[in-house]
Amino acid sequence: MPNDFKKLNSVMLRLVLLILLLCIMPNAIAQEEDDSEGEAPDIVLRGDGKCTKCHDETSDYPVFAIGKTKHGTVADSRTPTCTSCHGESDQHMNNDDAMPPPPSRTFGKNSTTPVLERDQACLDCHQGGKRMNWIGSAHANRDIACTSCHQIHTDRDRVRDKMTQSETCFTCHKEQRAQINRPSRHPIREGKVVCSDCHNPHGSAGPSMTVRDSVNETCFTCHMEKRGPFIYNHPPAQENCAICHNPHGTTAPNLLKVRSPFLCQECHEPNTHQSSLGTITGAYARNTLARGCMNCHTNIHGSNNPENVRNNGLFQR
Amino acid sequence: MKLPFSFQIKVAATLLIIASSVWAEQDENIKRLTKPQSTINFGAGYLFNDNARFGQFNGLRDDGFYGIFNLDIIRRNDDTGTWFKLQGRNLGFKNRDIRLEHSRQGNWGYFFEFSQTPRYEPFTANTAVGGIGSSHLQVPTTPTAGGPEHLKTERESFAFGINKFLPANFELQLHFKNEDKDGARIFGRGNRLGPPGPTAVGGYEFLPEPINYTTRIFGATLNYNGKDLQLSGGYYGTLFENKNKALTTTGGSSVGGIFAPALFTPIALPPDNQAHQAFLSGGYSFNPHTRGTFKASYTIASQTDGFFPTQLAAPGTPSDLHGKVDTTLVQAALTSRPLSKLNLLANFRYEDREDKTPVFLYNPNAFNVDLNGNRWTGFNTPRSFRTFTNKFEANYALPMNLRLIGGIDYEHWDRTGTPQTTGHRNSTDELSGRVELRRTMAETLTGTLSYIHSDRWGSHFLTNTTATGQPFFNLIAPINLADRNRDKVRLLLNWEPFEPLSVQAAVDHSWDDYNGDRNNSGFGIKKGMARNYSLDAVYTFSENLQANAWFSRNETQIDQNSRTPAPRVPWSVKLENSSTSFGVGVNGKPHEKLDIGTNITYSEITDKFKQSITEVECCPGNTPVPDIKFKQGRWNLFARYALQKNLGLRLDYILDYFKTNEWTWSGWTYTDGTRLSQDQRQWVNFLGISAYINWQ
Repeated sequence: MPNDFKKLNSVMLRLVLLILLLCIMPNAIAQEEDDSEGEAPDIVLRGDGKCTKCHDETSDYPVFAIGKTKHGTVADSRTPTCTSCHGESDQHMNNDDAMPPPPSRTFGKNSTTPVLERDQACLDCHQGGKRMNWIGSAHANRDIACTSCHQIHTDRDRVRDKMTQSETCFTCHKEQRAQINRPSRHPIREGKVVCSDCHNPHGSAGPSMTVRDSVNETCFTCHMEKRGPFIYNHPPAQENCAICHNPHGTTAPNLLKVRSPFLCQECHEPNTHQSSLGTITGAYARNTLARGCMNCHTNIHGSNNPENVRNNGLFQR
Repeated sequence: MKLPFSFQIKVAATLLIIASSVWAEQDENIKRLTKPQSTINFGAGYLFNDNARFGQFNGLRDDGFYGIFNLDIIRRNDDTGTWFKLQGRNLGFKNRDIRLEHSRQGNWGYFFEFSQTPRYEPFTANTAVGGIGSSHLQVPTTPTAGGPEHLKTERESFAFGINKFLPANFELQLHFKNEDKDGARIFGRGNRLGPPGPTAVGGYEFLPEPINYTTRIFGATLNYNGKDLQLSGGYYGTLFENKNKALTTTGGSSVGGIFAPALFTPIALPPDNQAHQAFLSGGYSFNPHTRGTFKASYTIASQTDGFFPTQLAAPGTPSDLHGKVDTTLVQAALTSRPLSKLNLLANFRYEDREDKTPVFLYNPNAFNVDLNGNRWTGFNTPRSFRTFTNKFEANYALPMNLRLIGGIDYEHWDRTGTPQTTGHRNSTDELSGRVELRRTMAETLTGTLSYIHSDRWGSHFLTNTTATGQPFFNLIAPINLADRNRDKVRLLLNWEPFEPLSVQAAVDHSWDDYNGDRNNSGFGIKKGMARNYSLDAVYTFSENLQANAWFSRNETQIDQNSRTPAPRVPWSVKLENSSTSFGVGVNGKPHEKLDIGTNITYSEITDKFKQSITEVECCPGNTPVPDIKFKQGRWNLFARYALQKNLGLRLDYILDYFKTNEWTWSGWTYTDGTRLSQDQRQWVNFLGISAYINWQ
């Protein structure tokens, strides 16, 4: 009996060990199976096993980081799968070549997938709200794909980060890249005002894809004190702020396109002092130095003072 | 050979340990790669130099220590899809942002946000004006030396929003933002009298404008996101409130009789105003090839801020403006692909901004004869605008991945208004045609070549008249109304000659030809030109080392004519602005624990004012406007070293350089003795050392 008991004990212990091994090593076993045949387990998204068995972080196209994003939140039933965006990609998957054909839809810079088809993968879910005007927008019409600006497989989409967004825009908008470094500027470099504060790159009902319906309405979101209406209105200020200002940056103070008095002389009649030469000395330096013409015409955007001295267009008070 | 049982146990135990550690490591790796990560970054930085430019918008102006504190806390409950995010940036600086967000993805969400944005005036005011920041200033009556004042404004905004997904593909969004802006900014008063005028000496006084604004933006939007139909409708409201109604003064110069600066009080400050908009926008995909979108909105804006007490009130003047502006917007677009190779786009936009403000006589003094013998009206000046904008574009696919695009844009403006001292025409029209050849989806060379031509014209200019109907000067067509021809050529090339190198070249050149004069005066704006070149290159040495470089040259030029005050000598000016900029950046990971990056940008900008004459009999003592040069550069360097997997150190270094010969304020002294100045050469060094901790 003692020998039998010892034998039984030994067998039992071995069985327990085997069960433990089987329980604790499922991943290792599964990995073995992955490399052979059968359904590979999902890592992040529903049904991603067939993709992640090859595309781990060491592959040329690492994909795991999508798990950190909203696209990787599987508790949300709307969350896509790999094939929602990349297509079924049968030829890509059922190919043992070292360089298999690409997936049905690709999004990289050398993608041969038509831009419309690439964008449709995004628009299937993101067509509404602020992206409603994407189709037909200036960007869409210039073959800019969603993925030209957005990075999907990362938790830090650079174009959605205020500190790095402008770099993405400057990939094409070179003139603005130079202008934001001018001495009169918005705090774009500091990330306090960014391109998307004024422009909706997905299209809008406003000119130049402004976030509001007009240039002025867009400027008023931060500079509402200029809205008026005033008793005495300066017509160009009501019509379009960009007649006098360049919001991307200038060398003249207050984002003015040109310095006083030259800017004012582009509209105002050469009556008396209005047409003085630009000078930094002499009597008419007052039109050039300091605030220039605004040294006297103080409330240049408009005045709400019922008691204005002399004529109503002087904006002196 | 039979192994002892104890040996078998040891082998099994070893296998278990190995297996569990492999499993644990693998699990940890998967978690690290697929779960959101939080980071806190804290430390200190030292600013080695006082400055005015580098710290203009971040508060890093005075030398000394500054705290570095950034956080990015992200948690996700994978079972419910609930996110919690707490993100703070620059919490140790004055341009801090913090945002808290809590949401269940696809169900509900809300956020709170706080943001602070300073703006320091880069010029120091040496002034004896008292009460700066308040709405009542004490102004010296004679030139008086004063102490340094550093004007600044600061915005503090608080926002929150809620969204909730509703059944049947609806989503409700609510948002509110309150922004307070406080401080003072450069402002002033003056009159135009003085040499070479016939009467009294003019005066110009420094009156910093008190800023104490509150801006509120709020709204509610109901979105419908169906497969083919999307709709978005709701309300958008904006309110502006100024705590200061008017700027009043004591003191100041009494030279100039009834036009003396001391009498220019009170001075109006921006009035409270508000706008309320109802809107509906939508998109409908008729089929996979055709989609239509639209937006319709109606906005009621009003300004009914009560007037402040004044010394003079015309009989019948109301207590406030009763300002009312109603704006109607209708926009619609249709895109279609009738053939596989052909895309068509049509876009129509109509905006009617109707100023319904009643007209009253506000300034009876305007009827008095001015120094030039003219009388003016004194009525308020509501103006309405109506615009039609139409766009049509066709896009056809050619062989070799080429596309040919042609388009026509047409814009029509109707404006109300009465011409007095500047030109006015009731309508303008602008027609643009463009053609573009684009190559995409090619392996090595892609690009775009486009040409745009536009013509602007309009109705006849109305005759500028005084209140008595006498013709005033009618010599200039304002820049936004003048006839104009514009040509623009644009070239963009993307070239990837071999795998690690990509090059981008962009050139655009535009020419404007204005007819800025009236009645063959030869005055007004004549020509405009803009030219931009840029070259960018990116080289990827390896997965762990990338470099980029860019160069830009930008030039603009404006030619305009005028004539001096009596004896009215014609003169012209060519205004030139040119800038040369470049940047170089390198990012790398030379060691598995070390990330480094560096970036240098540099710009040289020049303004030139080429006037045809600099002296004229009327106004002796002129000095031609000197060229203005700006040079500015910045070197950023960062290094991040991982001490452990989740813990590391970060070093940041910034060298900022600014140099100018700008004369805007250097030759100017206010009548009250105020002078503004800036350090024309500013070198700034900032060094920051911080630690970061990551966790999941």
